[in-house]
Amino acid sequence: MIFISQVSRIAGLFGAVLMALTGAMLTFEVVARYFFIKPTIWAAELSQLCLIWGCLLSMAWLLSQRRHITVNAVTSLLPKTAQKACVALALLCIIVFSGIVTIWGWDIFYDSFSRGRTTGSLLNLPTWVAELSVPLGFGLLTLQAVADLIALPRDATHTLGASHE
Amino acid sequence: MTIILILAGLFFLLLLGVPVAFALGGIGLAMLLIGGFSPLMAPQAILSTLDGFILLAVPLFLLMSNVLLKGGVGRDLFAAVQAWVGHWPGGLAVATILSCGLFAAISGSSVATAATIGTVAIPEMISRGYDKRFVYGLLAAGGTLGILIPPSIPMIVYGFVTEQSVIALFLAGIGPGLLLVSFFVIFSVLYAKLSGKFVPVEKAQMEERLVASWRALPSLVLAIIVIAGLYSGAFTPTEAAAVGFAAALFITIFWLRTLTWESFWEAVKESAITTTAILLIVAGAKVFGKAIALYRIPQDISAFIAANNDGPLIFILLVSVVLLLMGLVFEALSMILIMTPVLLPAAMGLGFDPIWFGIYMVIMVECALITPPVGLNLYVIQAVARTTLANVARGVWPFLLLMLGTVGVLYAFPDLALYIPFKW
Repeated sequence: MIFISQVSRIAGLFGAVLMALTGAMLTFEVVARYFFIKPTIWAAELSQLCLIWGCLLSMAWLLSQRRHITVNAVTSLLPKTAQKACVALALLCIIVFSGIVTIWGWDIFYDSFSRGRTTGSLLNLPTWVAELSVPLGFGLLTLQAVADLIALPRDATHTLGASHE
Repeated sequence: MTIILILAGLFFLLLLGVPVAFALGGIGLAMLLIGGFSPLMAPQAILSTLDGFILLAVPLFLLMSNVLLKGGVGRDLFAAVQAWVGHWPGGLAVATILSCGLFAAISGSSVATAATIGTVAIPEMISRGYDKRFVYGLLAAGGTLGILIPPSIPMIVYGFVTEQSVIALFLAGIGPGLLLVSFFVIFSVLYAKLSGKFVPVEKAQMEERLVASWRALPSLVLAIIVIAGLYSGAFTPTEAAAVGFAAALFITIFWLRTLTWESFWEAVKESAITTTAILLIVAGAKVFGKAIALYRIPQDISAFIAANNDGPLIFILLVSVVLLLMGLVFEALSMILIMTPVLLPAAMGLGFDPIWFGIYMVIMVECALITPPVGLNLYVIQAVARTTLANVARGVWPFLLLMLGTVGVLYAFPDLALYIPFKW
């Protein structure tokens, strides 16, 4: 259990670094284009790749930190045991959804990988480079949700999330 | 019938506490499977959402405002504005609103705005004898300016899902944003004059004003660069956000010298958490949107509205009531993502401009941010001021009326939003 949370944490922090890197790449692009009239062919594409990987790698970490956006208005009115039951049901929903997305996401990745499909853009990267993030990210999320479900009877969780913007 | 079942299923999952992203994605996936459509569409929709270049602006604007936040820019802005207008009747309240408006121009989030300005303004105003409820309401409402005055994360998301220009949306937010700021300012001055519940601040010396302004200057310049760059077409919103992030680092590291490694790393982590939370909801909504489109639900709803056409005014009134009710329980982004695909086709059929409708939606979700029991800005102010939710909620209602008044003006004069992007 702790091992999975550790993996999620490292994946999430790596995802955070990827997102910050997009800032560096795109600033470089703007400077290169306006001051040196030399637009890059890689900045836009690589930063999009960073965003995809960054988000999907961070999902499991957000779950373990209880930072996914959740509507708590109704469950917070329930007694503590009922709140726990709701959390268990919510975790089951996440497991089913992310499990299915992992399997189908893997199919998409494997199909592109075995056919050697490429993006057809300037960099012409293999499409599986982006597509692999779906089975990996959702697979990790599934594992994290299973681990949270197993740990649930012994911890103090009464909601899966927080409210953001 | 199908519509009711789908919405009931979705609301059940949401109220059960399933994170919004997975509730939307899960219902969408279930609809695809039941309808015999390829479930491959779910991972494809998720990938195609995150692949959107425009959505890169979300983490970058968040990084920009989080770095400025950690660099203590909120304090500097408030001090500068206070030095100029603090001696007016209700001057601290006016300074608070103006600081919220200025901070909104460098931040796309209402929570960040309420928290940043609230931390400095609340203790200051209460020590000067302002009524506490007024102060809490002012800050909760002032914070919502964060998503109306560009940049704005909800506008980026609205532009992405409706395939409208984010630049046009940003520019369209300026007019209503300034109107709302002036409503808040006028109300604050009148309130202070009539209640007399405040101790005036002595007029600041010119030197003091200049020193305070000098520290706030870089943030103002940054806001102007971002807006002017977008307006002139020099940057895309994503590039403006990237340049803004780089400039925010420059300002906080070299000019103000307030950013440490630890606080930078905090800003990176916080931005990543918020970005992932937001973009996953957008991805879940995309799966949901695909599914309801395959079931032809938006078409059915617009056909229903067209058949029972009572004119645009009745439509907007009804939609406003629905959004206000939803806003009691839902937070901003989920409302935009659930309701826009359902409502926009009907609204456009009635002759509403999609950019106008986006601004209208943003003001309506601003109301959702300050209506109890679930209003994000209420929680923020409650936490910052260490008071009860009920106290904050009681102070909010005059500001809620002013916001609805702005919607009324926007309905009567659509150019309030549409003039700057399209006619200037």
